[in-house]
Amino acid sequence: MSPILGDINRRDFIKYTAMTAAALGLSQIDVMNKVSEAMAASSSDKPPVIWLEGQDCAGCTTSFASTLNPPAASIILDTISLRYHETIMAASGHKSEQALHHTVKEGGYVLLVEGSIPLADGRFCMIAGRPFEEIVLECAKNAAAIIAVGACATYGGVPAAGPTGSVGVREVVKNKPIINISTCPVHPDHLVGTIVYYLTTGKVPPLDKEGRPLMYFGESIHDNCRRHAYFEEGKLLQDWNDPEQKNWCLIDKGCKGPVTYADCSVRRWNDGLNFCIDCGAGCRGCAEPIFYAGMSPLYSDPTGKAEELKKEAKIREAKRKELNTGKEVK
Amino acid sequence: MGKRITVDPVTRIEGHLKIDVEIENGKVKDAWSSGTMARGIELLLRGKDPRDASYVTSRICGVCYSVHQLCSAYALDDAFGAKVPTGGTLLRNLVMGAEYIYDHMLHFYHLTALDYLDVMAIANYKGDDKELLAVKDKIVGLVKSNDTYPLTPRYKPDEYCVNDPDTVITAVKHYIDALAMQAKARNMGAIFGGRQPHYQSIVVGGLTQYPDINQVLQFKTMLDEQAKFVEEVYIPDVMAFGTGPLFPLAKMGLGGGHYNYLSYGALKTNPPKNDLLFPAGVIIDMDPANLRVKPFEAAKITESVKHAWYKDSKPLHPAKGVTEYDLDKENGYSFVKAPRYEGHSMEVGPLARMLIKKDPALIDLVKKGAKPGAVARHAARAIETKQVIDACYKWIDQLLTEMTKPGFKIHDSENWEIPDAGEGAGFYEPPRGALGHWIEIEDKKIKNYQAVVPSTWNASPRCDKDVRGQYEESLIGAPVPDPDNPINVVRIIRSFDPCLACAIHLIDPQSNEVKKFIVE
Ligand code: SF4
Ligand code: SF4
Repeated sequence: MSPILGDINRRDFIKYTAMTAAALGLSQIDVMNKVSEAMAASSSDKPPVIWLEGQDCAGCTTSFASTLNPPAASIILDTISLRYHETIMAASGHKSEQALHHTVKEGGYVLLVEGSIPLADGRFCMIAGRPFEEIVLECAKNAAAIIAVGACATYGGVPAAGPTGSVGVREVVKNKPIINISTCPVHPDHLVGTIVYYLTTGKVPPLDKEGRPLMYFGESIHDNCRRHAYFEEGKLLQDWNDPEQKNWCLIDKGCKGPVTYADCSVRRWNDGLNFCIDCGAGCRGCAEPIFYAGMSPLYSDPTGKAEELKKEAKIREAKRKELNTGKEVK
Repeated sequence: MGKRITVDPVTRIEGHLKIDVEIENGKVKDAWSSGTMARGIELLLRGKDPRDASYVTSRICGVCYSVHQLCSAYALDDAFGAKVPTGGTLLRNLVMGAEYIYDHMLHFYHLTALDYLDVMAIANYKGDDKELLAVKDKIVGLVKSNDTYPLTPRYKPDEYCVNDPDTVITAVKHYIDALAMQAKARNMGAIFGGRQPHYQSIVVGGLTQYPDINQVLQFKTMLDEQAKFVEEVYIPDVMAFGTGPLFPLAKMGLGGGHYNYLSYGALKTNPPKNDLLFPAGVIIDMDPANLRVKPFEAAKITESVKHAWYKDSKPLHPAKGVTEYDLDKENGYSFVKAPRYEGHSMEVGPLARMLIKKDPALIDLVKKGAKPGAVARHAARAIETKQVIDACYKWIDQLLTEMTKPGFKIHDSENWEIPDAGEGAGFYEPPRGALGHWIEIEDKKIKNYQAVVPSTWNASPRCDKDVRGQYEESLIGAPVPDPDNPINVVRIIRSFDPCLACAIHLIDPQSNEVKKFIVE
C-alpha cells in the first residue's frame, strides 16, 4: 500500500470506528483491531462490490463520490474491489457486462442498488438489452449482502409517484434480508458506515421494521432539532427575510421533522457544513417510506401532525407561563 | 452493408444510453442514439402543489440537480409573479457558480480522462517525486494483487492514448486530487444551497438561506482554493492535452456533427441589470472564418416524436407537445424526443456557448486548426469555468455590499402563496447546455409540467425529416479500425457530457403556450 494514501485511508477508517463502536456494542479498541485486521487483509483480497443503477438520477453516486472523510478515491481503490458501477468504471458495453457476469458467477459480493425498479413494463429501464428487474434478481442470488441505497431503491422514492410502477428492491427480492439506507440522496456516512459495519463484523446491523439501520434511523429529526426550543415557545418562522426569525422553527414552512426518523439533526450533511433545516428550508421527510407522494405538499402539512404538535406545544407553553407567573407571585 | 455494433451501456455518463453504429471500411457510416430509461417526472407532478416542482425536478438528475431546481424556480417565479430580490439572485448565482466548477471538473477527470490515458503506463514511471511515487505504488499494488477494478476491464488503448509515464501518472494524480476538489466545490454550493447533492434552499421567490458574513467569507475562501486548482491544474491539463497529444484528433475534427449551435443565455453578471455572462444566440452551419450569430427566438423550437417511443404527432412546440408513450412503436428507438430549431438539429453546451460568445481563447484554438468537435468541447469547458469563477468573485463583492443595506432581502415573501391559475416558463444554461422548464397552474395545482433539457437536444434520435441527432451525426466518419474496440465512439459521446436521466421524460398531451421568456 502506498505510504501517503495508505495512511490517509487507515486514519480515516479508524475515525469511522469511533462512530461504529457504539452501534456494535464493542469497545473502540476492539473495533479498531477488527478494522485493522480487515484493512491488512484488504490489500490482497478486497471485498468485491457490484453497484447497480436502475431508475436513478445518480444522486446517490455523486453523494458517495463527494465524501471527503474517508476520501471516496481511497474507498474505491484501496478498500473495495468495485467490479461494476456504470458511472465510475472504465469499461463500456460488452466489456462492462463481462465484468458483471464474471463477478456474479464468483458470488460472495456486496450488492448495492441505486434507483427504483419499474414493474409497469420492464422496457422503462433497460440495460445491455435486459430489464432492470431481471438484472437485480440475478445479482441478488449470489450476493453476500444486499444494500438498497437511497429513497428510490428502498421504497420507490420520487419515481414511485409516477406512471412506471416503480418500487424498491424489497418488493422484488423477497427471500433475502435487504438493508435499506433511505434519504434522497443517500447520506454518504450512512452508506460508508453500513459497509464498514458489514465488512468488520460480517453481520447485518440491527434494523428497524422498515429495514433501516437503527444506528442511523432510530430517532426523530424533530426531537433532536436545534430549533426545538423555538418550537416549544411557538416561535415559528414566517419570513425568510427577517434575520430575527432566521433560526426559528420551520414547522409553518412544512417541515417534516416531526414525522421523520433519521439522524440528520445531529450528523448534518457535507461534513457538518449545512443541512435541510439549518439552511431554513426544513426537512422534506426523505428518509420515510411514504416519501415523496405521502410528504406532498412539501411546504404544508399533509399528515396533520404539525397542527396536532403545535396545539400540544401551545398547552405546554401556557402551563409553563402559568408556573412562572405563580413563582413571581410567591 | 457494414458491420453493426452496439455499445450498451455507455458508462461514465449520467443515465442509461445505448449507441448503435454501423461500420464500413474502418469508419462509422451510420449511428443511432437510444435513451433506455424513463421515470415520468413531469407526469407525476400533475395535480401537485406547484411549489413542490423545484424540489422534485431536482431529482431529474443527481449530477446537475441544481440547474433543474433553479430553472424550475424561474418558471415558478414567472407563474407566481414573484420578483426575486437582488440578494436572492446573487445567492442563487453563487450556488450555480459552484455547480459549474464541480460539474466541468468531474466531467474532465472522472468521466472522460480514462478515454485518453493508458493508466497502466504508470508502472514505467522512473522519476522520484514522492507524491507521484505514491500513485505508482497504488496502481502497481492493484496490478500485483491481480485486482485492477474499476480501472479495468477497458477498451484497448489506441494510438491517441497518452502513454508517456510522466504525463499519465501526473494525470492520474490529478484525477485523485480532483475527486476531492469537486466534492469541495459541491460543499461550497451547499453553504447557500443547504446540502448537496440535491440542494434544498432554492424555492419560488428566491431562496431560504439567510446569509451571514461568515458564510460569505467561507464561500470566498473555498472559491480561492478552487480558483487555484482550476488555474494551476485543470486548465493547464486540458490545454496541454488539447494542443499536445490530442491535437491530431482536434485537427481531424473528431466528433464535429452538424455545426449548428444554440444558447438560451444565462446568469446576470450584475443583477438586477440584464447583462449576461453567457449570451443567447444561434449559429447555423458554422463557418469558422465568418462566425454569424443570430438572435434566439423561443417560438422556433419544435419537437418531433417520429422515432421516439411516443404516440405519433406532427412536430410541435415543446410546450404544446402531444406525447403519450408507445413502447411498441415500430420505428421508435429512444425515450428521447427530437427537438429542432427551425428544423435544424442543434448542439447545446459549452462549445455552443463559447462560439456564440465569440470567446477569444476558443476562436484562437479554432484558428490554430482545432475543428469544433470532441477536443474543442473539453477546451470550451475549461475556458468557461474560469469565466464563472471570475463572475463569482464579482457576485461576492456585490452581495457583501447588498448585505449592508437596510432591508436586505433574499426572498419575495409577498408571492409565496399559490396563485389560483397561471403559466410560467424558465430558461437557463446549465453546464451541459440549453434548459427550459414550463408550468401551467389551475386550481392552485400543477396542471401541466414540461422540461426540455440539454441532452434532449444533443442525444435526440432522428426527427420527422429523418435528420440525425447531434450525437448521431458527430459519430459519422469516426475511425473505428477494430469493431471490438470502439474507443472513438465513447470518446465522442462522452465529450458531450451526456445526462440521460435528464433527457428522458414522459409528458402529457395538453399543455400551455410559452408566453414569456425570462432569463436570469
Ligand atoms: S418542526 Fe422542524 S424545524 Fe421545527 S423543531 Fe421540528 S424538526 Fe426542527
Ligand atoms: S433532514 Fe429530512 S429531508 Fe433532509 S436529508 Fe434528513 S430526512 Fe431528508
